[in-house]
Amino acid sequence: MASQAANEHPNRKYAIGLARAFGGAIIFGLPNLMTMEMWFLGFYLDRTRLILFLLVNFAILVGLSRFSGFEETASSKEDLLDALAAYGVGVIASAATLTIFGILLPGMPLGEIVGKIAVQSVPASFGAIIARQQMRGKTDEEEDEERDVAERRGGYGWQLFLMVAGALFLAFNLAPTEEMILIGFKMSPWHGIALVLVSLLILHAFVYGVGFAGQEQPPEGSGFRRVFISYTIAGYGIALLVSLYVLWTFGRMDGADLTQIASMTAVLAFPSAVGAAIARLVV
Amino acid sequence: MTQAGHEEQSGKRHRKQRSQPPLLEWISAAVGLLLTLTVLGALAWEGLMGPNGAPPAVEATVSRITPVQAGYVVEVELHNRSSATAAAVEIEGELTKSDGTATTSTATVDYVPGESTRNAGLFFKDDPRRHRLEVRALGFAEP
Repeated sequence: MASQAANEHPNRKYAIGLARAFGGAIIFGLPNLMTMEMWFLGFYLDRTRLILFLLVNFAILVGLSRFSGFEETASSKEDLLDALAAYGVGVIASAATLTIFGILLPGMPLGEIVGKIAVQSVPASFGAIIARQQMRGKTDEEEDEERDVAERRGGYGWQLFLMVAGALFLAFNLAPTEEMILIGFKMSPWHGIALVLVSLLILHAFVYGVGFAGQEQPPEGSGFRRVFISYTIAGYGIALLVSLYVLWTFGRMDGADLTQIASMTAVLAFPSAVGAAIARLVV
Repeated sequence: MTQAGHEEQSGKRHRKQRSQPPLLEWISAAVGLLLTLTVLGALAWEGLMGPNGAPPAVEATVSRITPVQAGYVVEVELHNRSSATAAAVEIEGELTKSDGTATTSTATVDYVPGESTRNAGLFFKDDPRRHRLEVRALGFAEP
């Protein structure tokens, strides 16, 4: 009896975690699930780029599972299991929601159905892996332990990784819409420069004001210049690279000239920078 | 009894100490792996069997004609026989009466994905069943 109870207990806990993951998948997935550009991308997005993006997404999931470290014993094996489960939840949640919306119909060819689900599975799986940490009730003791883990893993590399994850998530949410291109057309070069400066300002305000995961203060003895260069400028660099990558994935750069690419990247780097800045708060 | 209570209390600690993930974790990871491989496999298959540079080929056929108060609705089925997606597909229906006069109606369909069918409708004043009706896709844009 006792051993059976002990066996059931972790399973029950895990089931609750799974339910939370579904909740997170729906919350983070909804903006995309209800955007028609995302449905269309499902069937015309270049397959090589889509597969590459899914692999990048999976690597991010593994990394997020590692970083959040909600279990002391978290090993690479468990990170992999977590990432797989989160991706599974993302796929199931996306497929179910799209079916209810009538976006997936039985007569559609397999390629269209899989494509539509695959595109949506990215933000949904991101939500799933975040939710397992965010939505569970934490005791003070657990929070302390988490802070320990975060501090242990709060090295510079991990901070940059978190920025990549946050930037990727927000960029992915916004890049599919026509507005990204439209805003680029509407802005003059001066608007563009102002947008870059504002992005940097916001990023720096978050980095400096909010502090780092597991750290109340910026790193010891680090002045304004150090924080600005190693976090704000580095973070904005990440935002730009992520924006370029996402624009390429969605085929926005095909046939565009350099000025257009620059303005689209500056526009998308704004949400990317915000994503990079707040990632540490969300995860 | 007391031991059971004690066990429950230390449940949280116990969870951290165990090295083996619960069965459910293995099951959901397996489901996730299966779905991951299915999605990747289907996409790779499609990618390999993919467009091959062939342009979209959209065929329009009349599927149904329904009389309505203002005239007639001609429902058109668009079938894309290529694997490339066509966007902004314009279709036209031309109704030619026996005296040689013709009326045309057009509609635009946002997307006709590769190997898929989409439906559209055209309105006519005269009964298309009593005259010569021709429907065709006029053109498309790349998505």
